[in-house]
Amino acid sequence: MLLSLAFRNLWRNRRRTLLTLSAMVVSAALLILALGVFSGMFKDMLASATEQYYGHLVLAQPEYHLRRDLFANLSVDIVNHPALMNEPEILARSPRLRSFGLLSRQLSSQPVELLGIIPEFEQQVTSLRNKITAGYYPKLEDRNGAMIGQGLANKMKLKPGDELVFVTQAADGSIGNDLLIVRGVFATGDSRNDNSLVLAPLPWLQDVMVLPGRIHEVAMILANPMLAAEMADRLGPNLPENTEVLAWGDLLPEMREVIAAYGVSRMIIVTILYLATGLGILNTFFMSVMERTREFGILMAQGMRPMAIRSLVLLETLFLGGIALTIGLFCGALMTLYMQQVGIDLTTYITPITYAGGTILPRLHAVFEVANFLVPAGMLLLVSLIAGFLPANRAARLDPVVAVRED
Amino acid sequence: MSIYHTSLIRKLLPLLILLPILSGAALALDIQSVIREVEQQYMGTSSRARTTMQVKTSHWERTLEMEAWSLERDYFLVRILEPAKERGVATLKRNREVWNYLPKVDRIIKVPPSMMGGSWMGSHITNDDLVKANHIDEDFHLRLLEETETNYVIECLPKEDAAVVWGKIVYRVRKTPQVPEQIDYFDEEMVRVREIHFDDIQQIGERIVPLRLTVLPLEKPDEMTVLHYRELVYDLDLDESYFSLRNLESP
Repeated sequence: MLLSLAFRNLWRNRRRTLLTLSAMVVSAALLILALGVFSGMFKDMLASATEQYYGHLVLAQPEYHLRRDLFANLSVDIVNHPALMNEPEILARSPRLRSFGLLSRQLSSQPVELLGIIPEFEQQVTSLRNKITAGYYPKLEDRNGAMIGQGLANKMKLKPGDELVFVTQAADGSIGNDLLIVRGVFATGDSRNDNSLVLAPLPWLQDVMVLPGRIHEVAMILANPMLAAEMADRLGPNLPENTEVLAWGDLLPEMREVIAAYGVSRMIIVTILYLATGLGILNTFFMSVMERTREFGILMAQGMRPMAIRSLVLLETLFLGGIALTIGLFCGALMTLYMQQVGIDLTTYITPITYAGGTILPRLHAVFEVANFLVPAGMLLLVSLIAGFLPANRAARLDPVVAVRED
Repeated sequence: MSIYHTSLIRKLLPLLILLPILSGAALALDIQSVIREVEQQYMGTSSRARTTMQVKTSHWERTLEMEAWSLERDYFLVRILEPAKERGVATLKRNREVWNYLPKVDRIIKVPPSMMGGSWMGSHITNDDLVKANHIDEDFHLRLLEETETNYVIECLPKEDAAVVWGKIVYRVRKTPQVPEQIDYFDEEMVRVREIHFDDIQQIGERIVPLRLTVLPLEKPDEMTVLHYRELVYDLDLDESYFSLRNLESP
């Protein structure tokens, strides 16, 4: 009885209810969209750092990632360690050897970071394959085929087919040097990678560095990147001594903080927006309760208890919240879907921004994330209840004798 | 009397003021040439040398046989003779530029400014040492820190505008014969990071030089580079054209 009464009361002032409802729907829907776009931005940032360079997990000698010591290398066999092979969460593994040296062509030289990789495996870990602007991803058979960043290619005026000399310190103390042939050029938008990263086949680099059969790290991709830290802890004890598994959060602590801060900023945005919406709801129900003072007086005089009156008003706000929620979630999901599928390109207005080790691409693009729906939904109901509480209390505390006399 | 006295002082005053300056100038000139002689002891006006360089690090140890030519303080060419794998690898210094020739790829590479601090031929000598050691007397303020019966100790602090990597260099030079005994290098935090010791003092022509120098990087106590001059000939008939990029490639 109380339910149908509450529902019918809601529509007594149809225009007012619809206006409040639309405010709630719009705020919920826009919130969901905005959070979706934020998540999209963070996902781009994380992907730029992990899927373009680190991977989600990196296995190496302890401290290798800090000191990049040439001699802190491992046997290539570690790639096929049972602990890694038997872990279904790990989708791909790529062995890498890293060398810092000089890339030189005629009179121009640039310091570079050269990664020796096995193209077939590296392509499963990093997504540079999708960022190629000229040429192709070097194959293992190319022996000394290299893929370089767009920034480096521009600086040294290189194109596929050009010859380069790579010079570095080899592990036996000699000057490691050999010719490289540019096969592909990539552009990620991340200036660090684009200006100094070079990929070349692993056997070639092992030869140049006099490190046969050795690698520096194994980069891995997980089904769920958010489980990386947990996975690193789980793998550690099963791997040989003198190795360490690091999650992307360890390699990019700033990124981890940015993402943790996102959880907080999401709550702040939701709170601010809903504060305004809450005041709107509060206003609507105060008005509605004041108008019905006489009616509440009669109901009470007939024996309705204050608790029931309070529930009645609260139910009304809950109904309103529920309806707003349903439509808001639907509209929000629809807009998020649009932004996910189509998005907005901002390339003409801004350039990529590198921040906390990741790159924010010049585009607005949304992703679906459960929390982006749950948080606005839960908060909307909560706000409705809080905003309904004051008018409901007022209605419940009415003195029937006074209330009945009100015009 | 007092008038006479005053005028005497007046006459002497300029001299009194000038005296320390003059003696200081004379001294400064002196230590400048001491440093220059130390840094150019293997070069003279021109020279040719056969050297053996032993490099020991915690990961590997190797010995290189090299042949080197120099002219004044500006030109320097060195070529590896042994081991066979690296035969023909050569370094040319022209003024403040360094070039490397790599026979394996048959290419000449100019060492960019960012790599000047890097190791030269895997040793504990940097490219910067090759370029800047000859200019210590120009890039640093020199000061006689201590003079004993047998030695000078000279402190070198970088001039404000000098692009140098050291915070301080201290030379210990024996007076007679005038040969260096030890050079200490300090980084910008004034921590001593490298020592060079000199020994095997020999007479070469009219010069007396220590033929062996040992470079000790103090951060890595188990590492060192020993450079031993096997042959040293001064005052050859060399000119600038000898130190060309073409000559860097083909012996």
